[in-house]
Amino acid sequence: MSRVGLLPGEGGGSYRLVVCVLAGIGIVIAAAPVVIIFIMSFSAAETSSFPPSELSLRWYESALALFRSDESSGSQAVGAALISSLQVALVVMVLSVTACIPLAYALVRGRRRLRQGMELLFTLPLVFPLVMLGIAFLLLAESLRWELGLWRLVIPHLALVVPFVLRNCMSAMQSISRETEEAAISLGASPLRAGIDIVVPLMKPGILAGLIFAFIISFNEFTITFFMYTIDQSTLPIWMYSRTVSSLDPSTLALSVFIILIDLVMIIAIDKIIAGRASLF
Amino acid sequence: MPAHEQTLQSLMRHQSAARVRRWRPDSALWLLCLPALLIITPFLVACLYMLRFSVSADTGSINGFSLQAYAELAQPYFLRSLWLTLKLAASSTVIVLMLAVPLAMVIVTTRSASWRRLMTVVVLLPMILNLLIQSYGWILLLGPAGVINTTLLQLGMVERPLILLFNEKGVLLGLVQTSLPLAVFPLMSSMRAVSQEYLEAASGLGASHWRSFVDITLPLLKPGLIGAGSIVFAFNASAFAVPLLLGGRRVRMLGLAIRDMISPLFNWSGAAAGGMVLILIITLVLVLSTWLVSRSDVRGGS
Amino acid sequence: MGIDLRIAGVSKHFGEFQALKGIDLDIEQGSFVCLLGPSGCGKTTLLRIIAGFERASAGQLLLNGSDISAVPPHKRDFGMVFQSLALFPHMSVAENIAYGLKFRGVTGVKRDDRVAELLDVISLPAIADRPVSSLSGGQRQRVAIARALAVQPRLFLLDEPLSALDAQLRDAMQIELRQLQQQFGVTTILVTHDQTEAMMLADKLVVMKGGEVCQQGAPQEIYSQPATAFTAQFLGASNILDAIASDQGIVQLFGADTVFSTEEAPGTALKLSVRAENVILDRAPHPSGGPCAEVEFIRNLGASTEILVKNGATTVRVRLSSRDSILRTLAIGERVALQFDPEGCVVFRADAD
Repeated sequence: MSRVGLLPGEGGGSYRLVVCVLAGIGIVIAAAPVVIIFIMSFSAAETSSFPPSELSLRWYESALALFRSDESSGSQAVGAALISSLQVALVVMVLSVTACIPLAYALVRGRRRLRQGMELLFTLPLVFPLVMLGIAFLLLAESLRWELGLWRLVIPHLALVVPFVLRNCMSAMQSISRETEEAAISLGASPLRAGIDIVVPLMKPGILAGLIFAFIISFNEFTITFFMYTIDQSTLPIWMYSRTVSSLDPSTLALSVFIILIDLVMIIAIDKIIAGRASLF
Repeated sequence: MPAHEQTLQSLMRHQSAARVRRWRPDSALWLLCLPALLIITPFLVACLYMLRFSVSADTGSINGFSLQAYAELAQPYFLRSLWLTLKLAASSTVIVLMLAVPLAMVIVTTRSASWRRLMTVVVLLPMILNLLIQSYGWILLLGPAGVINTTLLQLGMVERPLILLFNEKGVLLGLVQTSLPLAVFPLMSSMRAVSQEYLEAASGLGASHWRSFVDITLPLLKPGLIGAGSIVFAFNASAFAVPLLLGGRRVRMLGLAIRDMISPLFNWSGAAAGGMVLILIITLVLVLSTWLVSRSDVRGGS
Repeated sequence: MGIDLRIAGVSKHFGEFQALKGIDLDIEQGSFVCLLGPSGCGKTTLLRIIAGFERASAGQLLLNGSDISAVPPHKRDFGMVFQSLALFPHMSVAENIAYGLKFRGVTGVKRDDRVAELLDVISLPAIADRPVSSLSGGQRQRVAIARALAVQPRLFLLDEPLSALDAQLRDAMQIELRQLQQQFGVTTILVTHDQTEAMMLADKLVVMKGGEVCQQGAPQEIYSQPATAFTAQFLGASNILDAIASDQGIVQLFGADTVFSTEEAPGTALKLSVRAENVILDRAPHPSGGPCAEVEFIRNLGASTEILVKNGATTVRVRLSSRDSILRTLAIGERVALQFDPEGCVVFRADAD
């Protein structure tokens, strides 16, 4: 008799086969684009014959060259796009976490009503279609005609990132007992001091995960930035889009691999930090 | 002494209510919410601004009140786009659920922690990674000069490249891929709640694997399926990057249709109204699913 | 000895619910006071009001005569041990103990000395640099106590600190706690729902119920002379029997006269509280026409034997020494006469509570 369970072991017959095949298709669909980019970025040929007949790093070289010959292209240069991408992501990361730490504290410690209302408010950007966020912010920015600079991208990204950061901070906050905090206070720490000495250090896993989430989301953001970017304020994804709108350029593939690697490292870091303790969604 | 017991119980209830009380005044907590409220304010203002724009009498600026913009949506090009959106969102939801349930099952039951972690990361990837890069991947694989077409041509199996992308099928594939993690992760947690013992009991009573899947697993997963399905539907109905990058401008889902109103036409109020329609659809789906889940919870609980 | 803390008319409302109803309590300098009661009786709320984590809705807290109601908890200079112990998980043992010292200007070598001294006191000198997560239950307990005592608190507060320990360890810790308290001479208030623990530790026992103090006094006094049936039951009396005052001023049980007299009016409903070990069994019929019952259950527990006897719907629990001669022949279904040792018995009005 085979082991009974969600997925039976040996001897599951057609059931097991169907489940495994479908799951396999799912994995392939999820991973195919990344894998193919990775392989093809090492191809020496101009065509997409597969597997690549010859391997080389020529596309990586030309991607590097893109950074060197900044002035060659008429639009914003790739170096500038990368720098502004990083700037936006860093500002978004720091601001969102700074705002979410006290908020998470207030929501976890506060009355249920306060918590429910605020949670709803701060999940709103998640439910809101990205296109609409893009259009809404564009409408606002165009009507106000303020010179926002970097903030033109930072402000919409913040709204997008806050739900994720808040969730991570809150799940970390929930595991901190009120008594731990009160213990510090009973020993003579002021409430603020207890927050700094006790709450923030104990929230660290959530804060780290939040920081990384904020970075990943902002760094990869495409749709909202697609509406909001200007010639001066653009990001790497937009630069790549404008470059490849007509045809695929293998050097952008090399660039993509670079971005994929950054993302992978970050995902693995998050996975390590919150291993099994919090949910991602 | 039932009366005594009752008071004791109510006392205990109050006691636990007492435990959660803070000694800190509420105003301090509000103060702590302030920075985050500040951060989210532009978003709220932008949303209200768009709502106001959608009822403007002028297409280019806020001027008077009129439902003109909404009325004008009843044109074939918008209705076609609405229909296409609903169709693609619905079919992608069905496909995603069909893949996500087995996938969640396999991940949950995999015993090796490192394999489980690897699969989790692979499934998570489409959600985290830049949509642009993922669409590069699809174009490389399925495009006219992509890996599959090149291979088929070289093998002489086809004479002209197959059109695999830049049509509805391509967009559907992209939608399925990007929304897969949205379904897999919630399903994984509801899967963990399906007790091994139920399945053992069913098997002990003579149910085959298929039988106990249909009779035990699926009904227990129902709330999870509804929840995951509605999220996937909402996410895909509002897709923008996928049809933009994989649809080749031929697959005009709502997101693209709305963008087109702005970019070539400068019909701001029309775009705002179209957006409100999209938001309405998404809200309806989410509310409906919450209602369905709470109803099935009530039935399960009795 | 002088009064250290006077609790005067302290009430606490949570919305419509009144958790504390005008508590008056004097706590003497250097004494060990136990607040005892079932969950929901308001004992923890009272302790939290004393600590400053809750504000009283009415009343005053007078510490050495000055009202401290408005003093925030971090300025009260009390040491507290929490139910969960609340050790700081991201700090070492020494850092935990030293945490309160930095707010009192104790730094450097002086601080290290104080930490070493306390680790010595709790007989765990070698664990200073260990993370708290590596400690056993008993060790955590000691560290939590040391952390609270390190700051030389004006008042030492403990909220069911031993409830997480297993029975054996709890016994050992009770003794240790009592010794520590005497060594430091610190006025101590401990909250517990465990009557044995309270009896073991307290100089003064405060029994609480429904937000009120039922009775306060020395443990032995409350044990032998409970003021209400509730207190009697809570302090381990196993039988609270319905009785009635007869015309002659005698307490009647099961329609028969007992040896107890009462001043209540004839016909008043009474309660007779009897500990199991204070019931004496004899062969029926009763020599002086007293109450009888039928043996329902016998179980030898080694040194003692537990017997349940029944009259009508009422079951009386009896504990005899296993060497009691009546046990040799006692059989289930047999009728026996009930006699009571007046030492362990108290009579209340049924409506007094």
